[in-house]
Amino acid sequence: MTNLSLADLAGYLRQLGEGALITLELFLASFTLAFVLGVLIGVATLSRNRIIRAAWRVYASIFMGVPSLLVIFLIFYGGSAMLAAVLGEFGARIDISPFGAGVAALGIVYAAYVAELVRGAIENLPKGQFEGARALAIPPFIMWGRVILPQVMRLALPGLVNVWSFMLKETPLVSLAGLQDLVAAAKIAAGATKEPFIFFIATALVFIAFSAASLWLANRLETRLDRGQRRAPVRSPARAEA
Amino acid sequence: MNALPIDPALAWESLPALFDGLGVTVFLTVLPLLIGLALAFPICFARMSPRRALALPAEIFVVFFRGAPLLILLYLVYYGLGQIEALRNGPFWIVFGSPFGCAIVALSLNHAAYMVEVLRGSLLAVPHGIVEASEALGITRRNIFLWVRMPLALRYGLKAYQNEVVSFVKGTAIVSVVTITDLMAVANSIFEQTYDPFTPILCAAAFYWAFVNLIRVGFTFWGRWLGRHTAEDAPVALPGRQGLGGLAGRVKVTP
Repeated sequence: MTNLSLADLAGYLRQLGEGALITLELFLASFTLAFVLGVLIGVATLSRNRIIRAAWRVYASIFMGVPSLLVIFLIFYGGSAMLAAVLGEFGARIDISPFGAGVAALGIVYAAYVAELVRGAIENLPKGQFEGARALAIPPFIMWGRVILPQVMRLALPGLVNVWSFMLKETPLVSLAGLQDLVAAAKIAAGATKEPFIFFIATALVFIAFSAASLWLANRLETRLDRGQRRAPVRSPARAEA
Repeated sequence: MNALPIDPALAWESLPALFDGLGVTVFLTVLPLLIGLALAFPICFARMSPRRALALPAEIFVVFFRGAPLLILLYLVYYGLGQIEALRNGPFWIVFGSPFGCAIVALSLNHAAYMVEVLRGSLLAVPHGIVEASEALGITRRNIFLWVRMPLALRYGLKAYQNEVVSFVKGTAIVSVVTITDLMAVANSIFEQTYDPFTPILCAAAFYWAFVNLIRVGFTFWGRWLGRHTAEDAPVALPGRQGLGGLAGRVKVTP
């Protein structure tokens, strides 16, 4: 049935490996961007300022209500024009690569989800944590870095794991903007060898394996972060199984 | 370049095409939602069965169709299944031979896998005592499921269901890769004709946004109607970790 020679297979495997590396880079870069942006936005939008809160609501509503693919295309096609509008002549000369567009789009979209998680977690911290830090005259910067955010991370971890695994499944979308990632490599190999079944199944399994491995790590991390806490007896049923 | 990135004349001109695209998107949302839900029930029962021979295949189904990105599933169905000779000559080629059929199959399987977990989580959230009490009253198992467990599970799982439906709608934007002209594809083709990067895509964004928020509003009303007997319309949250009630809001429930 198969009409693949061993040498061909090795060549395609190398291409797939290179693609997988790009996918991984893209994923980690976008997740980092989403995480940093999300935490900053989450903390900033807790302010009582009406304008900031309204801006947050608009931002969250737009990016949670629109497909990531659309945002990727918008930034890929329109990114140069946007940069030109913001930076002037200098911006117009910047070329948007599929990789850059993908990182920016996924980062901006998922920052909204991360910010939502962070906001929820901060709002659910006991008020005493803030009051205690203030009573001890801890400067705000250290209060956030050493007192509040570590606790926020523990509370937000299950949600962050959701964002992580959901985002992983959206990274292949960037291949539609022309990025030569794992999925693009699989598609080329599938077309050239007329063996689409094998290549796409293999690609799917790579994603499943990566997501399973990271979920396992996340469980370990969760246990570690919870070590100072009594184990919560009831876990969310929807995510009870790892 | 004018100050506004949107060209109103072009937007107005492309409205009919965008509405056609929206129609395709709605069709590709509703049908797989129904098929996926119908598939999810038997698979969920198998998954929850104490018999390993039933539970294991169901679990593998869920892990595969949830873990694989939708784009790959779509490629797999569209390009991969055509490789199978028996299928090509069989009666099901009407489904698998057309892009629409492939998209519906891939989307339905993906949705079914997610719904199995949503259903399972909701059913497990129903307090066991209620089921035991119903059994003690001599209610048949079928009636317990239909009139005791399901109504409660629906209320517990409504939020998760809403999240799944919303992210599913957004997921349908990829069907253009198998030559279906949905909303995203229409916007893309207008871009390719006019090289206006903002007008078509932002218009499509507005359509998606409206569709998604219509669904959100619908779910909110549904939830209010389901909870109409409660004094205040306190949202029924999944009994998750304390302090994380709000986060479940927008993020798709994953394992």
